[in-house]
Amino acid sequence: MPKATITNSIRRLRFDHDEMTQQELADRVGCTRQTIIVLEKERYVPSLSLAFQVARVFNQTIEDVFAWAEDE
Amino acid sequence: MSTVWITLGVAGGIIVVVVFGRFVWSLRPQPEMSGLPTTPLEKLGWVGVAVTAVVGVALAILVVVAGVTGFHEEATARGIFWLLMMGGIGVWSVAWYVIKKRTGGTVVDERDRAILARSLSVESVVVLLSLVAWTVTLTEVFWDEGAIPLGYLQLLFWSTFIGGAFGRSLGIILGYRREITVDA
Repeated sequence: MPKATITNSIRRLRFDHDEMTQQELADRVGCTRQTIIVLEKERYVPSLSLAFQVARVFNQTIEDVFAWAEDE
Repeated sequence: MSTVWITLGVAGGIIVVVVFGRFVWSLRPQPEMSGLPTTPLEKLGWVGVAVTAVVGVALAILVVVAGVTGFHEEATARGIFWLLMMGGIGVWSVAWYVIKKRTGGTVVDERDRAILARSLSVESVVVLLSLVAWTVTLTEVFWDEGAIPLGYLQLLFWSTFIGGAFGRSLGIILGYRREITVDA
């Protein structure tokens, strides 16, 4: 079975939203700043609940923020 | 001792070493996970390691000075022991209160909870190793007497308790140095 990773565009979306800080995003979705950092580094796959909350902060759908990338 | 038992013993030993080695290897830090800001739970993990290490060493010194029987029966040694235990729990509780107070936003999130859950495996291994060490040692030392002084049972419980708390704290710290996925 090919390995898959979940990519995201959180960093770009933060900058598009008045350069929102990681701490600000963390406070709005109810997680720690470290979790936002590892999310942006794509070293952490969030729960569905957190993914929805992040998407909602940016007024996007979950597919606009997160993508399923299957490795070759 | 027959060849069968020796072979079984060696095979069992190899299996234990391999399983334990794989477990330790699975905890190795990932370089890409270094340099991140410390979370409140991670800070508590460091406090836990420090407190349990200090209490553990102090308990060992107390047992060496007072002896196992004295540690269990002498009022002064018992007093010092309880002071140590209560002091350790007190310092840990105050530290957690201060950490929470200083943290402006979320204190523990889903990733912290996942790391906390995974740290149980480190605690379990420490507890298991402690029980194995105590069982083998006590059996060897008191084989001829056929009975174990009560002080040793107290020591067994408290050392395992402190070891378990140390393992859990260490597991938390190591957990932040590895990737983790939440399935929820």
